[in-house]
Amino acid sequence: MNTFKRWAGILVTVFIAAPLVIVVPMSFSSASSLQFPPPGYWLGYYRAYFTDLDWLIPTWNSIVIASATTLLTMLLVVPATFALVRHKFRGKGVADLMMLMPLAVPHIVMAVGYYSYLGDLGLVHSHMGVILAHTCLSVPIAFLVLSANLKGFDRNLERAALSLGASPTKTFIHITLPILRPGLIISALFAFIQSFDETVVAIFISGRDAETLPRKMFDSIRQEADPVIAVISTLLFFLVLVGIATPYFISTLRSRAPTPSRSPAGAH
Amino acid sequence: MTSYLELSNITKAYGNFTALDNVSLSVEKGEFVTFLGPSGSGKTTTLMIVAGFEKASGGSVRVGGRSISELAPHERNIGIVFQNYALFPHKTAAENVYFPLQMRGVNRAKGLRQAEDMLSLVGLKGFGHRHPKELSGGQQQRVALARALVFEPSLLLLDEPLGALDKNLREQMQIEIKRIQRSLGVTTIFVTHDQSEAMSMSDRIVVFDKGRIEQCAAPLDIYHSPQTSFVASFIGESNLIPATVTNAAARIANSPVLGSFDYAGSDNALADGQEVTLLIRPEHIKLSRNPIEDRKSARMTVETIVNYGDNALVIGRAGDIPMRVRVLGADVVIIKEGEECCISWTPDSVFVITR
Repeated sequence: MNTFKRWAGILVTVFIAAPLVIVVPMSFSSASSLQFPPPGYWLGYYRAYFTDLDWLIPTWNSIVIASATTLLTMLLVVPATFALVRHKFRGKGVADLMMLMPLAVPHIVMAVGYYSYLGDLGLVHSHMGVILAHTCLSVPIAFLVLSANLKGFDRNLERAALSLGASPTKTFIHITLPILRPGLIISALFAFIQSFDETVVAIFISGRDAETLPRKMFDSIRQEADPVIAVISTLLFFLVLVGIATPYFISTLRSRAPTPSRSPAGAH
Repeated sequence: MTSYLELSNITKAYGNFTALDNVSLSVEKGEFVTFLGPSGSGKTTTLMIVAGFEKASGGSVRVGGRSISELAPHERNIGIVFQNYALFPHKTAAENVYFPLQMRGVNRAKGLRQAEDMLSLVGLKGFGHRHPKELSGGQQQRVALARALVFEPSLLLLDEPLGALDKNLREQMQIEIKRIQRSLGVTTIFVTHDQSEAMSMSDRIVVFDKGRIEQCAAPLDIYHSPQTSFVASFIGESNLIPATVTNAAARIANSPVLGSFDYAGSDNALADGQEVTLLIRPEHIKLSRNPIEDRKSARMTVETIVNYGDNALVIGRAGDIPMRVRVLGADVVIIKEGEECCISWTPDSVFVITR
């Protein structure tokens, strides 16, 4: 049984890790299209990515769209989550369902819908159109993350703050928000990644003007299979790796450090 | 005449359910009053109404002669310690205690000094830089207490604050809380369902049941002269015997099972023929093989003996009335489970309850 489990574990790891193992060497490949194993190694495609506007503009578009999507999502989701988690009102069940709907409907269906709807509004092939569509897709994800956090929030903390003389606004600023900060950050991160990663809707409505990175990669793999795709994949992979490892690294460093004898006034 | 804290005719209804029914209470400045009752009795609801987190359906709350019913919780200047302490996890102990001062515009350096002083008072000198998760349950409790006291609140409310602590720590904290409360002279309301906690800490106990105040009196008065059979059975152990007053002038009642009873006294005027309940505390009953002269006695079948070492609880039946007798641990050897023995008491250990 144990042997079986071990082999199953190894198999799963290999399957998950295999694409990464392939993509990283391919990014250093000297072949003119995606090819494994690479015939030789050089950094040319890295240079190509960082100098070619055909790649840099979609990257910039993706960053702008994902940032704007995140901002808009959080502006909508934070008040909505507080309302849906903490209050009872008529039509709450319907509101709950509507929030999560985009998660259940296939992206391709959403994409067709956005295409005709945003077309009527004249927003197809514009940043604003993609931002609006991506926000709709990010809202349920951010809502799920944040509502789980808010449900676990001990409301006695707010009561305590009120009893200690903090007005409801000050309670929110000094107590609720800081304690929910990790949840807010993760929620925003998911919204950002959702938009940055989204391909189907982007293919339908982003056009040339608002072309996002995943769309450009998709186009490229269909037409020329430019190894720059492997470069981008590798860069994104290491970006995520750093993002995951940093908090872990910091907390390890902190717990190893001897407890500093801070003066209470300096403790913050 | 007005007291420091006045609750007048407080009612609270949730739909058709009456959570509080005409609760009125006066508390003097500096008093330590305990709300005691089973869960759902209305004690916590009353506390939440005083704190402002629940709105009463009717009645008023006055502190120092001023009505606070219309004030929001943060305008009431009331310190609260919650059962789970509700310490702010992102702030250090000192910052937690500084928080109420910060909200009152005290600058950081001065406020943190004051917070450290308060932490010393509750026995946590030098713990100011720790975060709540680096403190034990008892220490968190002390921080919560310091935080609720540092801004000199007009009232201190404690909502079952000792519930989460183990027994030894709880007894230690009972003494600590009493000491701190006395030294600051803060008017305190303490909510608990633990009767021994209520007995050991309070100036007065308010017993709640089903949204009403059953009795409000000093701990020993509650113990020795309970006004209702609920109070008698909730505070301490009790033997309750239904009886009828046969001769009020001569202080004699009759129990269908145990026969004629002499009782020493009662706070209430009784009439012949009145239905009453007689209370005899288990420690006032003597256990013997044979009847003892000058004592009212009855025969009891012993069902269970629980020996705690220093004392033992003998549970049995006299007729169909369940009886509990507390004896010294060494004395219990004279009887065995299943045997019949003699129980006896004097008239002055019989208390008459009219409700």
